[in-house]
Amino acid sequence: MPTPRRPVGPTLAALAGCILAAGCERPVGCTGGYCGTMVIASGGEPDILLPPVSEFAITRDVTDQLFLKLADLGPSGNTIGDEDFQPQLAERWEWDAPTTLVFHLDPRARWQDGQPVTAADVAFTYDAYTDSLVNSSFRSSLRQIAAVTTRDSLTVVFRFRQRYPEMFYDAVYHLRILPAHLLREVPRDQWRSAAFGRAPVGDGPYRFIAWKAGESIELGADSTFFLGRPHLRRVIWRFTPDQQVAVTQLIAGDADAVEVLVSPDNVQRARADSQLATYPYKGSAYGYVGFNLATPGDTTRPHPLFGDRDVRRALVMATDRERLLRNVFGEFAKVPPGPLSQLWWIWDPEIRELPYDSGQAARLLTRTGWIDTDGDGIRDHEGRPLAFRLLLPTTSAIRRQYARLLQEQFRVAGVDVQLDEVDFSLYNERARAGRFDALLNVWNTDPTPSSGFPQTWTPAGFGRSNYGRYDNAEVDRLVDRAVASAANRDQARAAWRAAIETLNRDAPGIFLFATANVAAVHKRIADVTIRPDSWLALLRTWRIPADRLTDRDRVER
Amino acid sequence: MAAWLVRRLVASIAIVFAVVTITFFVVHLAHGTPCGFDDRPLPPEVCKQLCRRFGCDQPLLVQYGKYLAALVHGDLGESIGLHRPVADALRDAIPNTFILALAALLVDFALGLALGIYQAVRAGRFGDVAVGNVALLINSMPVFWLGLVLLLVFAQWLRWFPAGGVTNPILCPRIDSPHCLLDFLWHLTLPALTLGLVAAASTARYQRAALLEVVRQDFVRTARAKGLPERRVLLVHALRNALLPIITLFGLAFPFLFTGAVLIETVFAWPGMGRLAVNAIFQRDYPVVTGAALLTSVMVVLGNLIADGLYAVADPRIRVRGEAGGREGSA
Repeated sequence: MPTPRRPVGPTLAALAGCILAAGCERPVGCTGGYCGTMVIASGGEPDILLPPVSEFAITRDVTDQLFLKLADLGPSGNTIGDEDFQPQLAERWEWDAPTTLVFHLDPRARWQDGQPVTAADVAFTYDAYTDSLVNSSFRSSLRQIAAVTTRDSLTVVFRFRQRYPEMFYDAVYHLRILPAHLLREVPRDQWRSAAFGRAPVGDGPYRFIAWKAGESIELGADSTFFLGRPHLRRVIWRFTPDQQVAVTQLIAGDADAVEVLVSPDNVQRARADSQLATYPYKGSAYGYVGFNLATPGDTTRPHPLFGDRDVRRALVMATDRERLLRNVFGEFAKVPPGPLSQLWWIWDPEIRELPYDSGQAARLLTRTGWIDTDGDGIRDHEGRPLAFRLLLPTTSAIRRQYARLLQEQFRVAGVDVQLDEVDFSLYNERARAGRFDALLNVWNTDPTPSSGFPQTWTPAGFGRSNYGRYDNAEVDRLVDRAVASAANRDQARAAWRAAIETLNRDAPGIFLFATANVAAVHKRIADVTIRPDSWLALLRTWRIPADRLTDRDRVER
Repeated sequence: MAAWLVRRLVASIAIVFAVVTITFFVVHLAHGTPCGFDDRPLPPEVCKQLCRRFGCDQPLLVQYGKYLAALVHGDLGESIGLHRPVADALRDAIPNTFILALAALLVDFALGLALGIYQAVRAGRFGDVAVGNVALLINSMPVFWLGLVLLLVFAQWLRWFPAGGVTNPILCPRIDSPHCLLDFLWHLTLPALTLGLVAAASTARYQRAALLEVVRQDFVRTARAKGLPERRVLLVHALRNALLPIITLFGLAFPFLFTGAVLIETVFAWPGMGRLAVNAIFQRDYPVVTGAALLTSVMVVLGNLIADGLYAVADPRIRVRGEAGGREGSA
């Protein structure tokens, strides 16, 4: 007797139904104002959750929820003086002398293992950040601090080598205070692989819960946090291979927030989604074509083309930067009036710069001897065509787009540009070694120009970030005045402006764009405030009102 | 058989060794440094110190010698970019890639065999032509493009499936319940389907051709003459003999699925070996690149060994020849 066959179809249909229904929620329980869960889609993953030894922006986003600074930037973003800073771990501070700064720690502050946060933790943190064995990339930012000592368990004293406008900023902005009792025994040269960095114990508004490599990091609110209980109960970062995939997850409803929407097209998509709200904020990046002023591979000789200031000026004037910007960024960037990010307080559209003037550019090139003698559309001089190679990384879609548009604009001006597109690692190596004619570079900046600008546009950055070896003593003098001796913000601003205008006249680069970021956050999340230098700095105050909670927010595990 | 197995194992080890050696030298000779993958590269002094710590300031042959010496002791080194042992990073990534490849393999062979058989049974008729053309269309698609299309349609527009990841991080941070297992399968569906569909398209074509070849042979005619039901003739007598080329495909499928996984893991944010290796290549994270190459080659070699074993199971003639060969070899 044949065995009756079981029908396969219904079983498969049931399985498919189960799989499709897998999104169904678990029992829900949490109610009230502290139940929200936010999922952030991120285009990168932290390398380690130990602030001194990580350079990634995503690491900073996560660790800023775990570790407190002594004080933090205020909404104005002013980095000069101390009046615009807000207390965090330090409840107050005073200047004992022009170069002696005393912090008084908040006695309520606790590490999440119950230990109190003490002045010894602060001294330990400074020691670690400046220890060559730890090899922190923030070490150079702390070079003006001579010593950090404790006066008692809650009082810590910073002594500076000299007086300057951003002393307070240097003391507080880069140091995330670390628990000495948990890290003291870890050998300093092994901090980059310390187990603590994969399961940290902090003193911030959130505590570490879990890190699934390649997938997600989960933080839970510390309900006893001394500066006020965070409203969002859980924050989860979901890691994606790049920012574009992160945006896809947001649009598909798998995430609640992304830091930047990257392209105008994505901004339109997010705005078209009734569930999402967009939040524009100032960007910290600027992009430019940097000319190599030295011969590639020989820094003692001027570049055969870009050693000539008039040629550089002509190329700047031949570039219609507004049109390029509209093509690539639409409304989500500005043409910078020099090597400036929008984040910097010295941003000033009135700074004088070379105008777009193709006629003047052509006359200048002709005057310097670059004429199209053979009628091939490319100018030449003494048998040499007006041609150069532009180095850029393949990983940046924005820069690739810019490169092609620039190539076309220069062709019209009689300049032949060939593109050298290489991967990012090789790009960095060649840029640093000066093996290029011109490069299409982007800098992500700190909130102040004082650290990045000298490294990028003065001889202090030779062999580091001044890839094109730009050197003008007048610019150096003005920058030094702005950074080291300005008595107040207005004086510093004037010095910065003069420095940038001098630099613009020299045309060491074509300053193409300064980004404006747009974040997107699910509309059920209220009180979203974004501080441009660190978009999640005020996350503690974001909340989901009780009437907007979804089952996902209330779910218990 | 034992001698054959030993020969294959020795050859496999040699292949893996060659892959590791070539990978090691290629990644180290490539330009670029592991010093920053951002618009804020590491300061030179930090970079130099990092390089010293990982020994990349030493002559390449010295580095290679040290790498091999550590490898013999099972030490794959420490990742420069991830700040953790390479073995740990691979341990996290392997299961994801393995499950994805296995699921894709399931889709590939289940769908490929079924469609191939269907086409062979209906050879020359509308069903055969229609399925053949669709298979050709899918086979012509780049796997990442198909992934993007499925993502757009099923995740973004219809929202039937998630747009990436392994599980829902809120509901299922761990797969510790039937509900979370289903959630995992839900997340696995699109990437596995993408990878499996492209492979199934070619499997179907092979299967159709192989089955058509077999059904013309005498033993099939004999089976039909004995009055066996057509279903039994095809599925029992003909199919087993038509499986040999498919087993060859099985051996080849592993490399395809692993390389395909590199792209699919990126499209679907699936945290497997492919994504790990690609990131490591861009960051010049030499130990991770070499470790990933080592592991991938081991898996591919193993896949081929399994395929060879299956030959013997599927075709007794091969088993007999293999045993005879083994005897000759040992004599």
